[in-house]
Amino acid sequence: MAWQTGVDRRSGWQRRKLILAAGGLFLLPRPLWSAQAAAGFVDELGRRVLAVLNDRSSDRATRLARLSAILDEATDLELVARLVLGRYWREASEAQRREFVNLYRRLVLKTMSERLDSYGGETYEVLGSVAVDERDSMVSTRIIRPAGEPIAVDWRVRNLGGRFVVIDIVAEGVSMVVTQRSEAAEIVGRSGLEGLLAEMRRRLA
Amino acid sequence: MVRMKAPRRLLGLFAFFLLALQAAVPARGAEVHDPLEPLNRTIYGLNELFDVLLIGPLAQTYGELPQPLRTAVRNVLDNLSSPVTLVNDLLQGEFDRAGNTFARLFINSTIGIFGLFDLASELGYPAHKEDFGQTLAVWGIGEGPFLMLPLLGPSTVRDTVGLVVDRGALDPFSQFAAREVAAARAIGETIDTRHRLDPVIQDLRRSSLDPYATVRSAYLQRRAAEIRNRRPPAGERGYEAIFQEEEGNGVANGR
Repeated sequence: MAWQTGVDRRSGWQRRKLILAAGGLFLLPRPLWSAQAAAGFVDELGRRVLAVLNDRSSDRATRLARLSAILDEATDLELVARLVLGRYWREASEAQRREFVNLYRRLVLKTMSERLDSYGGETYEVLGSVAVDERDSMVSTRIIRPAGEPIAVDWRVRNLGGRFVVIDIVAEGVSMVVTQRSEAAEIVGRSGLEGLLAEMRRRLA
Repeated sequence: MVRMKAPRRLLGLFAFFLLALQAAVPARGAEVHDPLEPLNRTIYGLNELFDVLLIGPLAQTYGELPQPLRTAVRNVLDNLSSPVTLVNDLLQGEFDRAGNTFARLFINSTIGIFGLFDLASELGYPAHKEDFGQTLAVWGIGEGPFLMLPLLGPSTVRDTVGLVVDRGALDPFSQFAAREVAAARAIGETIDTRHRLDPVIQDLRRSSLDPYATVRSAYLQRRAAEIRNRRPPAGERGYEAIFQEEEGNGVANGR
């Protein structure tokens, strides 16, 4: 965004013309450009997930393995786990942090496995995206169900130096990170971080 | 979670909660304001019991009815709630939305045959819902402490006041309908809502670490979204703070 800073008018204008000729996209402020790329990322992610869900020729275990590979690529579960733990992350020991991320990941995979069979032909539509700050964009989608009203789902996507990762999913205004943070804070407040880890282990047993 | 109507008794309940609030201990620095948590949790447990024993099974049976019939039930219930939405659109100064709601009420009550068919949506008048709790929020009134209402589920002091005003003053059907009609509507509303929420409730029971905390958080977020008229929470201060705070606390620390 050099043209916004102290360069003299003329060269700024010439540069802009050049850039415009080079393919106008770069004229857009960077976050906006990033927001459009983030929307493309979510669209592509949705296509890949639907391809797995609709693949009736592979068995359940294969489909699950492919979904978990997509999950690892399209999210940063360590970052999400840290956001979920919030201020307790800072208070946690090295070993507790590692244990929490590990348990969180296994719970996500367990939930994914449980939900795999409830897929009933839903599709989606990307509606648009906005840049929130230099790193994050919100991509708005609509999940279209064969029966029932569509569901509004917004994806918070972070640009980690060129790689996009989903860091929150907001369904009809309800954020996954906010909700899980509230659960975690509740349990830690009542029975400490060890209590939370114990509860997570219990859920996995 | 479960919505049921008991207009007169609600006032008494409300007074009871106000009294209980006087004795409540202050919140312990949590993100949500829930000074009545122990009482709320007890009520949540009773609601769950009631749901497992009665409402859940009824909703499951209802789910076996043919889809067009269930859609018609939903349409009639939505049409009955249109007057409350209309009045609250007006109270919020949302005159375009009020016009839309009036058109819906008129179209669906006449050619939609008492609301059985939602022709208005197909004619370009989409549905939305407003209530007096949202109106109070638009007027700048805070949500107050979180409340778990017996049978009615999650709420706040503001939304409970809103519910009492909607049912007691703004809703013509609550005012003038025969007792039996009002009861049928309340039961229909409860069963239909429970049926539509079933996947969410099953999911909650299976995967939540603390279902009460989840319901509370989800309710408060959902209400905030409804008050914003459904825009995503991006840019909201509390929401953004979550994603900023890990600066300088890098991932490497956890490895």
